[in-house]
Amino acid sequence: MTLSSSPSGTSLVRYLFNSHLHSSSGNLFSERHARMFLHNADMNNDTHDTTDALLIALLERVAQQDDAALKVLYRQCAPKLYGLALRVVTHRDWAEDVLQEAFLSIWRSAPDYRASLSPPMAWLGLIVRSRGLDMLRRRTADRSHVTQELDETLSDTLAADAPTPMDTAQASEQAWALHQCLGRLDNKQREVVSLAYVRDLSHGELAQQLSLPLGTVKTWIRRGLEQLRLCMAHFA
Amino acid sequence: MNLLKNLELLERLASAYALGTLRGGARRRFESIAREQAPVRAAALIWQSRLASINELQPQVQPDAVVWTRIHNLVQGEKTGAAQAAVRAQTAAESTGVAAWLRSLTLWRAATAVGALATVAAVTVSMGQRQEFGGEIARLQSQLLAAPQIEYVAVLADEKAAASMLVTFDPKAKKLTLQRVGGYEEAGDRSLQLWALPPAGGPKSLGVLGRDKLLRLTAGERDVREVPTLAISLEPKGGVPSETGPTGPVLFKGALIQKML
Repeated sequence: MTLSSSPSGTSLVRYLFNSHLHSSSGNLFSERHARMFLHNADMNNDTHDTTDALLIALLERVAQQDDAALKVLYRQCAPKLYGLALRVVTHRDWAEDVLQEAFLSIWRSAPDYRASLSPPMAWLGLIVRSRGLDMLRRRTADRSHVTQELDETLSDTLAADAPTPMDTAQASEQAWALHQCLGRLDNKQREVVSLAYVRDLSHGELAQQLSLPLGTVKTWIRRGLEQLRLCMAHFA
Repeated sequence: MNLLKNLELLERLASAYALGTLRGGARRRFESIAREQAPVRAAALIWQSRLASINELQPQVQPDAVVWTRIHNLVQGEKTGAAQAAVRAQTAAESTGVAAWLRSLTLWRAATAVGALATVAAVTVSMGQRQEFGGEIARLQSQLLAAPQIEYVAVLADEKAAASMLVTFDPKAKKLTLQRVGGYEEAGDRSLQLWALPPAGGPKSLGVLGRDKLLRLTAGERDVREVPTLAISLEPKGGVPSETGPTGPVLFKGALIQKML
């Protein structure tokens, strides 16, 4: 607990998870799994705490209209947020516009972060996704088929049954918990759940974009969410 | 329909609602139940908060450098516009009220969007504790109270705006905490030295840094309060006396702000 004086404080997730282990015998995890989880949590804690504290400090300064702080924040987060924008809108030039609009929103609404209880990266991610979805709606109104460019690679991924790259760098502890649970899903289930969320797609739209039968999509999503529910219950 | 009697169904609907795959009439029915029954609403908010983490797990991609240039220009434009508006507001006495009103309007709009998120997190915490960890709340609260209140914070960055050091100051414990966040490593025969740059008078040494990722120095509030900027210079091993001031190059610097708690 070397970083206990940082604003994000102690490792709440690990603490709660730990106390859960003592209070009941989990039905999904063996003791060995639990120890593995806690070991990983230990390795990740310092990074989470430092990153969160750094981003919170930067948002404080951006809230005071400090444009130098905005630049540091951009240096720190742009690759992560651009990666997300790209996943939502699939075109590089659109994703660049999304990133630009998102950072202007961050510049204007940073004072509101003080009233937020979210980890900073979660707050930033929601801003980017929401700008991305706005962009998708505007573009879909222009044309009906908009998502070929990167989706071809995506179909290959689904066909090859290869693991989806999920990146925990800079992720908050909350995201780390979800990452552990998503990691336990079948590759295809994980990919479809993740895509449904980032692009806000219905079963029908997913089936169409991924060239899969509607029934298959529905089953994968239902089983994926069910598995997540059982796993996330351990993190509260 | 009483969802509270069927918790598994509640979870299934709440997760599909948060994921966005619950659509049409089913979505509207779920929403109207959620508006009436707080536990249903809470389940939906917890799932929204959980799934929002998917945003954080996407692979990183470096954007083109031109994106920052565009953001920078727009922000500078807004700052200039805001400064001009402030001047206009000052010269025309009656417009002061209007400007303040306009500002509050923008804030309100943003606050509405962000408020929803704050609610999610708040409910997540309270639900989680109630469901499984009722007895532990008191212990957590006492931990929170024991944690120092950090009142000053600075991010020190190099000239390329890459963050390298996070500095926090806890006035109660008179403790400066430095966390290295960049990959910078000084040579074996050199030391990093932290300086306060007060508005008047020369730089004042706050201490020489060791090589650990996390460093602590002792400082009085007088040394830190009202100091607008902190800087770190590269000095001979062991540092230099405060009176001489920095002899080597300044590697990182940044504004020190009082953190709102």
